[in-house]
Formats: sequence, C-alpha cells, structure tokens
Amino acid sequence: MEIEILEVDDREGRFMLSGSTAAFSNGLRRGMMAEVPTMAIDDVNIYENGSVLFDEQIALRLGLIPLVTDLDSYVLNCDCEEGCTSCQVSMTLNVEGPAVVYSSDLVSSDPNIIPAEDKIPIVELKSGQKLYVEVVARLGLGKNHAKWQPVVACGYKNKPVITITECDGCGECVEVCPKGILSIDESTNKVTVSDEIECSLCKLCEKACYLDGIHAGSKEDVFIFRYESDGSLPADKIPLLAVKQLREKAEQFIEGLK
Amino acid sequence: MIPVRCFTCGKIISNVWEEYRERVKKEESAKVLDDLGIKRYCCRRMLITHVPLVDTFAPYQ
Repeated sequence: MEIEILEVDDREGRFMLSGSTAAFSNGLRRGMMAEVPTMAIDDVNIYENGSVLFDEQIALRLGLIPLVTDLDSYVLNCDCEEGCTSCQVSMTLNVEGPAVVYSSDLVSSDPNIIPAEDKIPIVELKSGQKLYVEVVARLGLGKNHAKWQPVVACGYKNKPVITITECDGCGECVEVCPKGILSIDESTNKVTVSDEIECSLCKLCEKACYLDGIHAGSKEDVFIFRYESDGSLPADKIPLLAVKQLREKAEQFIEGLK
Repeated sequence: MIPVRCFTCGKIISNVWEEYRERVKKEESAKVLDDLGIKRYCCRRMLITHVPLVDTFAPYQ
C-alpha cells in the first residue's frame, strides 16, 4: 500500500492511495469522518435570550461552530463525573443589542480552544434585546453527532485511466469533455490527456468518438481521496489520526479474539 | 439567520454571508461565490436562496 500526497494545505487535502481495496478505503473514509475526536459545544445554559430565535435554535447554531481542537490537553472519555479541566471547556457569550452576535464573541476559559471561524453570525439583536448564555464544549466523535466531524465533503474515487487507441485528430472528444482535460497535440495531430485525475468518467468522449478509439476506465486498486477540514483540526493531521484510531480498533479486535 | 453550515456537505458558509450580501448588490452572484471559495452547488444554493427574516420578526418580539 502506498500513499502519495497530491496537495494539502491547512483546510483541504487530496491524496492517492494505491495498492488498496475499496473496503479499506471506505474504512479510512469512515475513520476520518466518525472516529477522529474534535471539540464542539455540547451543553448550553441560556440565562437570557431576547432575540428573535428560540433557545433551541441558538443552541443548535452554537453547536455547529467548529472549535480549534487541542487533542493533547483534552481526553475523550474522562473518568470524572461532573466534568473537569481535562475534559471540558466553558465559554460565555454576553452581548447586548443592537448588534450581531458573532462566533468571535464567545469568551473561552481556555485561550487555545476558540472558534475556528470568527465571522459566523449566531443571531442579530435589535436594540434592547440581550443574549447571555454559558456553554460547555467537549470532545466527541463524528459518529455521535455531525458537529464532531472534523472533515467536510470527505470522499474518494477510483483513479481514472484514459486510454487512446485510435485517433485522427477530429477534436470531437475535446469539445464534449466537461472537465477540459483533453486537447489536440499540434505536432502529432492526436488527442492528449492533460490531467487524468480530474476525469469524472462521464464517458462523453467515448460517445463522441466515431472511431471508438478513446476509453475512460478506472484503476480498481488506486483511490483518490479528497476532503476538507472544518477548521477544528489541520487537514494534514486528520488522515493520520484516523489511521491511528483504526489501528487501535484493529488491535482491540485482535485482543477480543484471543 | 443564515444557517451556520451547508445542509448537504457541512461546510461553514455563514461566515461569508455578510460579504456575499453586500457584494451581490453590484456584482454577479456566480462570480462572488467563486471569489469567496464556495465551490459546490450544495453550498452555493445556501447563499443564493437565503431570505433573511430577522427584520420581519423583530417588531413582534
């Protein structure tokens, strides 16, 4: 099994996994979505809410705000009963109208655990309206609630392979390709593929070719992963954390069989 | 209020809402969305189809 990183920055990642199976790739995808712990607002105490939104709506909106997660300082399954400094963070939100309440108005008790996005509007307050809430953020898993999912739009596809057997340079396939990855090479007067990975296997080129000389297929054991981070964890760390969780699970499984 | 995340994929879209709202007054909506990095059509419809209702409800509080 081999991994080739195609591109990765703080928020987005793309990598190629070769020599694998669909079952393993799906395991990795599910691991990234459901098994990597992140921080999210879990309990909300509402002391005053004069806004146009109901308490429940405000609590839901607060829950969906991604928080920058520090996995070294916090534990997922804490032994304490009442909640302690190693398993939860409390934050307060106290805004008086007229104002728009933003995620950046949350005052956290831990300066490292802050909203990943500053400009998320929570509610708009008119003059005389007030919002005073206290929230508790905890680590959680994506399988319990989507707010604890570190990735957004996480998925994979088989690596597309475009094979050209016959070509007279008519350019029909170049015209129909919605991804614009085909072009006619001026010197040889034959079609060439510029970015094979981008192919969506729509097979419009196959239909357009009257010589039946182009074929869009895919490699069954090579997978191209694409995912985005919601800001809670850096995108380059998420697959590594998922693999770690998967390995732990596999070890537990072996242990259980013994 | 604009939903915090895209209903379909979960991307945070509310943080660009105010900029989008201001810019569509003068520019073409498709160009603004491209500029703001809203690529998928699930996220794009969130901003295009949103109707703000806070001002409508506020007098009845």
